[in-house]
Amino acid sequence: MEPIQEYEDENSLELPSEPMHLHMGPSHPAMHGTIRMVLELDGEIIRKVDVQPGYLHRGFEKSCERGTWSQVYPYTDRLNYCSPMLNNVGFSLAVEKLIGIEVPERCQIYRVILGELARVTDHLTCAGAMAMELGAFTPFLWIIKVRDWIWDILEIETGARMTHSFGRIGGMAKPPTEKLKELVRNVLPEIDKVLGEVNVTLLRNRIFMDRLQGVGVLSKEDALSLGVTGPMLRATGVDYDVRKATPYSGYETYDFEVPIGHVGDTYDRFMVRLEEVNQSCRILGQAIERLPDSGPINVDDPRVILPPKDEVYTTIEGTIAHFKLVMEGVKPPKGAIYSYTEGGNGELGFYIVSDGSGTPYRVRCRPPCFINLQSAGPMLVGDQVADIVPVFGSVNMIGGECDR
Amino acid sequence: MPTFKLDGREVPFEPGDTIMKAAWRQGIEIPHYCWHPGLSIAANCRMCLVEIKAERPMLMPTLKWDESKQDYVPSDKPKLTPSCQASAVPGQEVFSQSPEAKNAQAHVQEFLLLNHPVDCPICDQAGECKLQDYWQTSQGTLKRKHTEPVHKPKAVRFGPTIVYDGERCIMCTRCIRVCDEVVGDHVLDMRERGNKNEITVSPGRELNHKYTLMTEHVCPVGALTSRDFRFKARVWFLRSAKSVCTGCSTGCNDHMDFDPRKNQIFRIRPRDNAEVNKFWMCDDGMLTYHRVHENRVTQGIIRNGQAKNVTRAEALGAAAAALGKVSGANLAVVLSAQHSNEDNQALVRFAKEVLGSERFHIALLGGWEGDNILRHTDNNPNCAGALAAAGGKASSMPDLLKDVASGAVQGVLALGWASTEDAATLAPLRALKAMVSLSSNVGALTEVATTVVPVASFAEMEGSFVNAKGMAQRFERVIDAPEGVKPAWQTLADLAKAMGKPLSHAQPTHAPALQGGAVEEARS
Repeated sequence: MEPIQEYEDENSLELPSEPMHLHMGPSHPAMHGTIRMVLELDGEIIRKVDVQPGYLHRGFEKSCERGTWSQVYPYTDRLNYCSPMLNNVGFSLAVEKLIGIEVPERCQIYRVILGELARVTDHLTCAGAMAMELGAFTPFLWIIKVRDWIWDILEIETGARMTHSFGRIGGMAKPPTEKLKELVRNVLPEIDKVLGEVNVTLLRNRIFMDRLQGVGVLSKEDALSLGVTGPMLRATGVDYDVRKATPYSGYETYDFEVPIGHVGDTYDRFMVRLEEVNQSCRILGQAIERLPDSGPINVDDPRVILPPKDEVYTTIEGTIAHFKLVMEGVKPPKGAIYSYTEGGNGELGFYIVSDGSGTPYRVRCRPPCFINLQSAGPMLVGDQVADIVPVFGSVNMIGGECDR
Repeated sequence: MPTFKLDGREVPFEPGDTIMKAAWRQGIEIPHYCWHPGLSIAANCRMCLVEIKAERPMLMPTLKWDESKQDYVPSDKPKLTPSCQASAVPGQEVFSQSPEAKNAQAHVQEFLLLNHPVDCPICDQAGECKLQDYWQTSQGTLKRKHTEPVHKPKAVRFGPTIVYDGERCIMCTRCIRVCDEVVGDHVLDMRERGNKNEITVSPGRELNHKYTLMTEHVCPVGALTSRDFRFKARVWFLRSAKSVCTGCSTGCNDHMDFDPRKNQIFRIRPRDNAEVNKFWMCDDGMLTYHRVHENRVTQGIIRNGQAKNVTRAEALGAAAAALGKVSGANLAVVLSAQHSNEDNQALVRFAKEVLGSERFHIALLGGWEGDNILRHTDNNPNCAGALAAAGGKASSMPDLLKDVASGAVQGVLALGWASTEDAATLAPLRALKAMVSLSSNVGALTEVATTVVPVASFAEMEGSFVNAKGMAQRFERVIDAPEGVKPAWQTLADLAKAMGKPLSHAQPTHAPALQGGAVEEARS
């Protein structure tokens, strides 16, 4: 803006015709994560958006090149920290693909259960935050209550509410607890009940609907050309879910559907997420019925999985296995692979390169958030400043995954 | 050059090579314990079994598990060949990774671990043990035999340097062969058979020749351990620098293994160099690293009636004052055959430009026995280099004592601690107007010096030595010098400044071109 002194002559006072530049973030209470948007405004109308990520860069990929393959798990926890278990599983599958092993069926089902629980929390966090940012605080609290129930289950299973580090190459850190089935069985109807209440509160609310419908429209073509995946892509009407397209962990055997939208606006994204929660609950219901109460959870290969402690203390093979795995780590064969799974926000890919040693040569993560983030610009142009909050909220950018 | 195919890869070989040796030359490792490139072929460990494609393979009857019948059925399998013993034949196809070969390697490895004690946590070899490596690459299964393992003698003293553990031994006979073939001393042999099989020392003997540590070096497992290194450090904490042995004029190439956290050297290992030491080193050479940590001069010393420790700066000041009192013509400069070319060349330049002296002497270390294996009769690593630095014109220490007695020399600047003459013989130097020593360790020269300035040892700088064959060999810096202590060539630059005659240009930080032959790059 020009200084006001130039218009001392009241007769010549005009409204400024130059667009206004506004910086939103990186520290702004309504921004999801530490990110900055440089906006060019024409009054309330957004003419240009420059999204600038990078404020949460920790050098995750580089850090992976120091330790062993197993020591990458804590880093994956901190990618999309709304659904760490999906990242754990995604990385496990990548390394297992490189080594050429497949975990036992019990482990696959366990991974599906924990992963779908994580997906529910991820989608609920996004939906709840959107409601809160539009002024609906009550449904937010209800949703967060549900998230806490699930986190309680994850805590009982893994020992941690958020950063589980529970995945292992060739299995999981521990077998399922005896309580798991009962806990999931009890929580599923409760989730359904709360979501019904949320639906009544929000989806009959004129203000909430007006703020979502027709706002932040992303066309199918734009979404595809930008490489958008996950609920955002499905909201534009593209039927792509990694679990259906290239099933892993036995997803092809579960009966579930992939919800898709048809407008690609914020409302569609919101609804796709809510419906995916329902579908995840369907999968969970089937998975707990299938989960065997006993059987191996880890692959039977002491070169990959730590041997039992009594073997370590009493036999030389066990001692050597323990020594090699702890000191040098699992050694995948030389080579590179790309492995991808359906993360909370879309296709979570790991491109990993091994030089045959126990330390990763390269761990490249394809973070769904980062790629989805590119769509924020095209979606927001033409909308109003106040729409930034719900539209950007529906992108569900998670700084930890976007910047790594 | 003829070639054969190893796992689909063309491998060139020289006539007479075995499959193992040709692969080794190409950097391909076929699992093995008993084979060593520097020793004869024993072919007793059976780890290197490979499958060789033949038109009419020799088949051996065997039983194979049939999944559908849930029973063993008669079958046959190709006879495998130890690749360390089989000559390479042009055009032949060898498979070290075929299912049969891998199966054999896995089972040989399992056999070797059958009675192995659970010693990794207390074994010095852990971390660089072939049993551990091949478990991971070739076996990868847990124990199937859960009965009490066979027990054998443990911690047997073989001699002043080596301790033997029979339970860890895999009877590869490398130690026996290294004594027989490298040293020519049949002091080790094997006794008994089967479960009682063990390595033993000849009756009435100890393992006490000059190359005993080589038995430990070739041991692929933790059966032989060096008493010097035993329980001192864990190998995964050690880092390695390429260095050259300072024990004698052969200049054996070595790895100096040090712990960067403690800034301390823990052992020396031979570094293969076909032109110098092949694969070996002598015991005395392997233990020279002790000099880097023992009897060090880390502070300046001024002797005025009695010795007083001073700072390096004070020592430099005192040295400058003392040397300034004597005219160049009456000053003798003692080069050191224990110091690098860089140090000696700097000293020659300092003598000519700052002191104006042309009197060069070389101090040599003595008291050493050579042999016709590796040990050169001259136990100084850089006699040739020091002589070359002085332009080939340097006289001995007895000559220096004569000049001192005649009064022609009134001051001495000496590099290094080493000299054949003891402090009593060198006593006349005490009375000189100036007797300055630049030294890393305490020795006869520092004892008679009126001023001692501390300098870095060879392990604390990079540089080069010229060995008896005239090969200049570079060595890397291993650890940091004690605080404030600098290499001699830097110390001389500081001394020149202290004397008010700074050297005309900066000193080189790297080994300059040498007279004693081309600088040979350090090999791996």
